[in-house]
Amino acid sequence: MRNIIAIADKELRSYFASPIAYIIIGFFALPFGVFFYLYLEAFLRQSMQMAQFGGNLNVNQQVIRLVLQNASVIILFVMPMITMRTYAEEKRSGTIELLLTSPVTDFQIIVGKFLGALGLYIAMLLVTLLYVAILFVYGHPEWRPLVAAYLGLLLMGGAFLSVGLFISSTTNNQIVAGMVSFVVFLLLWIVGWFADSAGATVGPITSYLSITEHFEDFSKGVIDTKHVLYYVSLITFGLFLTAKSVDSERWRG
Amino acid sequence: MIEVQHLTKRYGRVTAVDDVSFRVERGEILGFLGPNGAGKTTTMRILTGYIPASEGRATVAGYDVFDQPIEAKRRTGYLPETPPLYPDMTVREYLDFVARIKGVAAAERRTRVDAVIQRTHIDDMATRHCGKLSKGYRQRVGLAQAILHNPEVLILDEPTAGLDPKQIIETRDLIRGLGGDHTIVLSTHILPEVSQTCQRVVIINKGRVVAVDTPENLTARLQGAETLYVEVDAGGADVPTALTAVPGVTRVAAADTRPGSGAFEVESERGRDVRRELARDIVTRGWGLLELRPMRMSLEEVFLQVTTEEPAAEEAPRA
Repeated sequence: MRNIIAIADKELRSYFASPIAYIIIGFFALPFGVFFYLYLEAFLRQSMQMAQFGGNLNVNQQVIRLVLQNASVIILFVMPMITMRTYAEEKRSGTIELLLTSPVTDFQIIVGKFLGALGLYIAMLLVTLLYVAILFVYGHPEWRPLVAAYLGLLLMGGAFLSVGLFISSTTNNQIVAGMVSFVVFLLLWIVGWFADSAGATVGPITSYLSITEHFEDFSKGVIDTKHVLYYVSLITFGLFLTAKSVDSERWRG
Repeated sequence: MIEVQHLTKRYGRVTAVDDVSFRVERGEILGFLGPNGAGKTTTMRILTGYIPASEGRATVAGYDVFDQPIEAKRRTGYLPETPPLYPDMTVREYLDFVARIKGVAAAERRTRVDAVIQRTHIDDMATRHCGKLSKGYRQRVGLAQAILHNPEVLILDEPTAGLDPKQIIETRDLIRGLGGDHTIVLSTHILPEVSQTCQRVVIINKGRVVAVDTPENLTARLQGAETLYVEVDAGGADVPTALTAVPGVTRVAAADTRPGSGAFEVESERGRDVRRELARDIVTRGWGLLELRPMRMSLEEVFLQVTTEEPAAEEAPRA
């Protein structure tokens, strides 16, 4: 455990020691803010109209849910930037030799790197809470669905990170790792689009595979174990593949 | 302390290390000598557990590097060919991180880091970023990293590569100072380094061990015959003919191509010292004996001989 923390800590520090962390957080927070503004604006206009008829609108459903669903797509774009260097950079600069000749196991290195990346991702999500806080100042959103949605974001991001970590471990070129991760993430997103046209048997499979599809329920404030299980197994699978990749690299030299 | 038995490493069809065996005793400094691509780095990477061997076994401090890698790694310090530094970290941050993953207890970490910073003379760079260091300092930080957890065994892959002459001397002194407490294997293709720092030498070529011995013995043993350097003032007399007549002398050749020079190389039968006879003969002829000394084959010549001539390599003593 001590080793895992040491490596996670080092990973997290190295993100913040270079401009990467700030660029990633900025790159994420900016479009998030734009979405937030647009949906809030639309919400205000609608609720003005509704007020005339004495109706009421739900902030959680009309703002938070939509913003976070859009955020899940931005996350997809940002994640390759977090994971692309994790292994590729260590392999290119030779520092991997330090890690692999230190008394730490592959498992500790992989989990440490994963947690380090997750730490940066959590920092990204914390920034978005500032926007949400505005809603609490001027309105009365429900906090429980919010917690569910953020748990969903965390799990979904974890799944992206673990797959990205694996891709990074297969190459010593950051750009290759970044591009391949991006394409794979994109496929994991759009595979769900085929669900409607794919027919009765293939349809549910493609929609099940889609990484963003599983976030749908979380964004509505529903924590379904089915989706939790999907994300947790994807995270485990990604880390397992990383372990295999690191090990096979060692044998090939 | 280190035991390597029949180590073989193949990459596809290429055999990088072929049936290498050697031992290193506690406190000994072993030089690993060979041309580029001889398999030095591969052997060291196997010893440090970075890559597995295809065949054979290696134990470090009594632990098999493949079966008990964590225990073996705990007792090994390793400086790879390129010092494994993180450019975004300062030297102190870097060493602190290394101390953590090497398992240095939290309470001792600060003292250990300070100690190695002192020992490798990098105090003035402690707050610099590793990416901004010169090659010499990078190498020293790499060395600091290797000795940080006070390992029993040190594996240093070309520790003086890229250093200026002053730094080379400092690094060699440092390594010599580490010997005794630590068992050291260092690789190099610079020969004087071996004779200056190492107690024993393993010469490796094309993945095979071609010779193992002390630097002194190597130079002596690999010499086919004894050679003497003789300079006489013979006043124009025919020196070669006269000296060849001395019992035990096999060959006399001019050591200096300039005409009229009195310098000769005199080869004698192996193991036979002809200096007395030679001196007496020269003096009784009434010539002036200006110089008479044994010529040693330098380590360079030995190295070239064992690594270039296949027959010589076959005859060379095996470990």
